[in-house]
Amino acid sequence: MDFNLSREHEMLRDMVKEFANSELAPRALELDNKGEFFWEQVKRSGQLGLIGVINSKDYGGTAMGHLARMILIEEISRVYPPLGFLHQTGNLLMYAIETFGNDRQKEKYLPALCKGEKVSAFALTEASGGSDPANMQTEAALEPDGYVVNGRKSWITGVDPADVVGFVAKTGDKFGAFVVEKGTPGFEVTRREETIGLRSLPVNEFALTNCRLPKENLMGEEGRGLVCALTTIATIGRTGAAGVALGIARGCYEIALKFAKERLLYGKPIATLQAIQFMLTDMNVEIEAAKWLCYSTAWQLDQGKTSRDLAVDIARCKLYAVDVANRCAYKAVDIMGAYGLSPEYRVIGLLRDALELGVAAGSQEVMKVTIGATITR
Amino acid sequence: MGLEILVCIKQVPHPDHFSEIQVDVGRGRVIGAGIPVIMNPLDRHALEEALRNKERFSGRITVIRMGRPRLQKAVEEALAMGADRAVLLYDTAFAGPDTLATAFTLFHAIQRLGKFDLIYCGNETVDSGTAQVGPQLAELLDIPQVSSVQEVSFVDEKSLEVRRAWEHGHMKVRLKLPTLLSVTRDINTPRLPTVQGIMGVPQKEVIIWNAEAIQAPLENVGLNGSSIYATGVHEFRAGRRREIMQGSTGEKVRRAVARLKELGAI
Repeated sequence: MDFNLSREHEMLRDMVKEFANSELAPRALELDNKGEFFWEQVKRSGQLGLIGVINSKDYGGTAMGHLARMILIEEISRVYPPLGFLHQTGNLLMYAIETFGNDRQKEKYLPALCKGEKVSAFALTEASGGSDPANMQTEAALEPDGYVVNGRKSWITGVDPADVVGFVAKTGDKFGAFVVEKGTPGFEVTRREETIGLRSLPVNEFALTNCRLPKENLMGEEGRGLVCALTTIATIGRTGAAGVALGIARGCYEIALKFAKERLLYGKPIATLQAIQFMLTDMNVEIEAAKWLCYSTAWQLDQGKTSRDLAVDIARCKLYAVDVANRCAYKAVDIMGAYGLSPEYRVIGLLRDALELGVAAGSQEVMKVTIGATITR
Repeated sequence: MGLEILVCIKQVPHPDHFSEIQVDVGRGRVIGAGIPVIMNPLDRHALEEALRNKERFSGRITVIRMGRPRLQKAVEEALAMGADRAVLLYDTAFAGPDTLATAFTLFHAIQRLGKFDLIYCGNETVDSGTAQVGPQLAELLDIPQVSSVQEVSFVDEKSLEVRRAWEHGHMKVRLKLPTLLSVTRDINTPRLPTVQGIMGVPQKEVIIWNAEAIQAPLENVGLNGSSIYATGVHEFRAGRRREIMQGSTGEKVRRAVARLKELGAI
């Protein structure tokens, strides 16, 4: 058993850490306050080869794998979670196309997405929620020249800046997964939701109104739409959310630890107080546990196991890492007192971002349902 | 043909971890075990300039480093940034060198490598900061050299104009290739390696040479070749203290100045 990262993974971590510290950290607060999409940082991620790590070299990716993706999302999210989260949501369609899509879709979309020249979004959830996708209302009717789609998707991250969006619709009594490009008649972004965290990453509703799509926009076979969506969300969405959570937890811990060593009370750093040490210790232990849940799951994906094989592992790492991120963020705010509430000191922003993760890629309760149903089988 | 460029790099302790370095006064040793290491920051600027030259004129970049083969972080980083190959110089005979012995070791390795057009060095290292190896190496190779280089412009493929920093200004120097340039941090912003660069590292050539391979006379290298060696180490601890002066602004200034004088700070 070897728990060491490969030299390539270590180099990747060093590179992303330097990118995050030198290019993201100085801008993080400003970007958060503006609430505008961060194209410059996305393009830079693409230049560094960070976006296409799960895509094959044939289509502009680097095929470095899921553990590499987990590490880079963690390192980015330690400093600027919205960009880390875009590596979660943006990779959804890239994985779906690579795994389920046809050659035309791969050639047309993947190279520009890997470079960060374009971004994508992926939509399953509707107004009634995302936990019961079989009851979706969006329908795609097959006609001789293609599909006519009607419906509405809600709470979808990053549709506004996206050049291409993947979505799932009912095709009669089955489901199909499709791609729709920005500017297609009948496709309209209808709303931007007000969100408490990840504020520079828009969460949107979009409508499909008599939206005509050629048959070649179907990803995989008709009838495999839900399989495509659920496989993608488990493999990419849940692991990605776990990576963002791990990064937020580490960011909070590092800021709080530095603060505790520097902040004097009664002439001594507060880090010497046992009450503070206990909080920092809890954070330290939980982050280490979350890290290994996340890394082992990503590593197993790299060994060829599927999201079906790893349903419990994936649910476990998402459930635990997100809980740890929230607990660490609260503790960091506690340790830092009034400073913890100041956006300038970052931890309150990280707490807001952590709150968003509970519902991302399946709620915490859905994770428990997955684990609970399996262990009591 | 393109340019044959050599870049001398050193692996140094990470400056963020300098406070963790221990000093064993009794044994006269500095203990850096367990401290994360990086490529010397100015050597990254040197490599970046070499990469820009290669992008313009094509060619090959070889990085050269002295050190243990199993600790290759700086070399791997250089290869990931875009260097084409690395030469690693390792022999127990190379241990404990001063700057002159280091320059001799590099000189012999460069002679074995053969023809070159340009050698880049960082102006100094963050751990020893002598700024001597580049000039000494140029002297041994009998080629022109400029240190404290802030800017490099190619007049043509065979000659350069470089801007050299001075304390209160700069001077411009024209010189012909081959030459050696020691660069400052003003010269450029080093690139980060890309994922593609990182993935390409295992395919790149790393040559490991010992003293015999570079035909280095043992009296010229390592401790034997050094004219300077440490006779002992001393430890100084720096700390911060805060005192608040009371009174009017004028009184506070007078008191602060008097106190600083009392402490020997001014």
